[in-house]
Amino acid sequence: MINNKPRIAIYDFTDCEGCETKLVSLREKLLLLEKKVDIVNWRLGQEYFEAGPYDITIIEGAPITRHEVDLLKELRENSKILIALGACAALGGIPAIMPEKDRKYWYEKIYTSQYAPRGIDAVPLSAYVKVDFSIHGCPIDENEAVRAVEELLAGKTPSYRGYSVCFECKQAGNPCRLLENKPCLGPITQGGCGAICVSGGSPCYGCFGIRDEANIPALRKILEKFADEKEIERYFSMFHSRTEDFNKNKEK
Amino acid sequence: MMLVINDKNLEVFIEKLKEKFDFFDIRNDKLPFKKYFFPPVQEIFTRNPLSKSKTSDLKTAKTPAKFVLFGLNLPQLEALTQLDEIMQKPNEDFFYFQNRKQSIVIGLIDVEIDAMPGGDIIFQKIGEGKYKVWAENAKSKQIIKENKVFFEEIEDEEIESARSFELSEGAEWSKTMRELLADSENLANAVAWSHGHKIWDELAEKCLGCGICTYVCPLCHCFSIEDRVGLDDKCSRCRKWDSCVLPSFSRIAGGHSFRPTIKERYYNWFYHKFVRAYREFGKSQCVGCGACKKNCPAGIDIQEILKTILEDYKKVMSDV
Ligand code: SF4
Ligand code: SF4
Ligand code: SF4
Ligand code: SF4
Ligand code: SF4
Repeated sequence: MINNKPRIAIYDFTDCEGCETKLVSLREKLLLLEKKVDIVNWRLGQEYFEAGPYDITIIEGAPITRHEVDLLKELRENSKILIALGACAALGGIPAIMPEKDRKYWYEKIYTSQYAPRGIDAVPLSAYVKVDFSIHGCPIDENEAVRAVEELLAGKTPSYRGYSVCFECKQAGNPCRLLENKPCLGPITQGGCGAICVSGGSPCYGCFGIRDEANIPALRKILEKFADEKEIERYFSMFHSRTEDFNKNKEK
Repeated sequence: MMLVINDKNLEVFIEKLKEKFDFFDIRNDKLPFKKYFFPPVQEIFTRNPLSKSKTSDLKTAKTPAKFVLFGLNLPQLEALTQLDEIMQKPNEDFFYFQNRKQSIVIGLIDVEIDAMPGGDIIFQKIGEGKYKVWAENAKSKQIIKENKVFFEEIEDEEIESARSFELSEGAEWSKTMRELLADSENLANAVAWSHGHKIWDELAEKCLGCGICTYVCPLCHCFSIEDRVGLDDKCSRCRKWDSCVLPSFSRIAGGHSFRPTIKERYYNWFYHKFVRAYREFGKSQCVGCGACKKNCPAGIDIQEILKTILEDYKKVMSDV
């Protein structure tokens, strides 16, 4: 259980801060939120900060450096509820596109050999600690973040969207990409984003996370009809190269 | 005597309707007409228990202004009649009929009918630029009376016999499907028998469980309820289309699932439409419109599945 007016901390690791920006974009709603909770630590949003323990800690970004990993573990110890904010934190996301073994090569190529890299590897928060809930997306949908907080304040366990992106895609009136032999990860991806990418003419890359019990092998079979192995790999690895769902299905 | 209208007058008549009512031509919609009565997402009521206002803090979904739904084809008209029936059992679905009662439904068909399959007005194409008008209830007769200049009463014999018009896309599929549906008892028995048939294992490997087939079906009517307590203390209840192929659909409080695999869930889709619906309503919950087949990203064709099952069922039955 959390206090009447829970103390919330918002942290960020390695990422683009796009998801926090989405929180800021809540504007008036953010003020309403401030009446229900105390945001006691938020580097991006305010100067004022208090040390832990916290009722709810929301973390954006992937823990990449030793310092971030240690901080993550410390935050876990000091938080009743720990929430991953956005694809970087929840899935590894963009920072995790690069496989660990290739890091050295790219560090040298981009930053030269004089650079002493601090990054170890980019993996989701859940690789190190227990994550209680993930607010998905790259970036998140700010209203889905509000929904998660509302559910916590109402004493509920926040729930994931049980339907695929396809539900929202159909509501948006889009023709189905897969029927036109264009790739899309919508059927295996959790809804919540409003099918924003498909509506904008791009495939769904699955940034809202894999839907519960998604049939990934079945989607692969469909994609194989018009895309080669390498291309399919690229679609999946945009956000999912380090998620269990993805790797489990690769071995099949 | 029968009422007819030519295509020029039909156009003007439609313009008149548009002046008076909200008007929706459903022919290019991606989602079925049910969405006008039963929206994919609808906030059905809100409350604000902390509100200091003296009037009730309960607000239910608003009744829409009168509207016209235009362009339903034969299967869609039949589906509408069937959906009305479903939504009346066991109790009338308040929010569905709140919208439904505001609607004037106009069908547009090019096949022969003996009676109105549903809707308020039907324009049946009976020749080049010529339509026979069907209107039987008070609401539609009134509208026609108000616009009588556009219509013409003629002797029955004056009509050239209904010509065969070009079959629309998917018409052949619908025709076969409707032949299968004609014996809904046999379908019900066959699908009930098929539990355990290997076809369900094969389909479990193919079906994405995306739910599209239920969203696009004019007869699927399952929903889930989402309650929220907003940051502004407003409590709301929202209903959303749900789909029996999704795992959350058959999961209950505590996490137990009655149908833990896609195989069981997809079988349930068939079982509900062809077995349970037959037992409850005496007919399948399918009108053969073809929307599920046309929209399935995995290319699953329910007619092929039913044919396989029916064939094997027949073999088994003739063996005993
Ligand atoms: S999930 Fe996307 S938007 Fe959010 S921080 Fe990571 S890269 Fe930025
Ligand atoms: S385009 Fe993608 S998200 Fe949209 S319905 Fe098709 S598979 Fe689903
Ligand atoms: S459509 Fe897919 S990739 Fe785009 S925001 Fe939604 S879940 Fe993410
Ligand atoms: S549309 Fe096709 S893939 Fe999606 S749930 Fe229905 S049958 Fe399965
Ligand atoms: S053909 Fe498919 S979409 Fe049409 S009524 Fe039957 S089950 Fe529903």
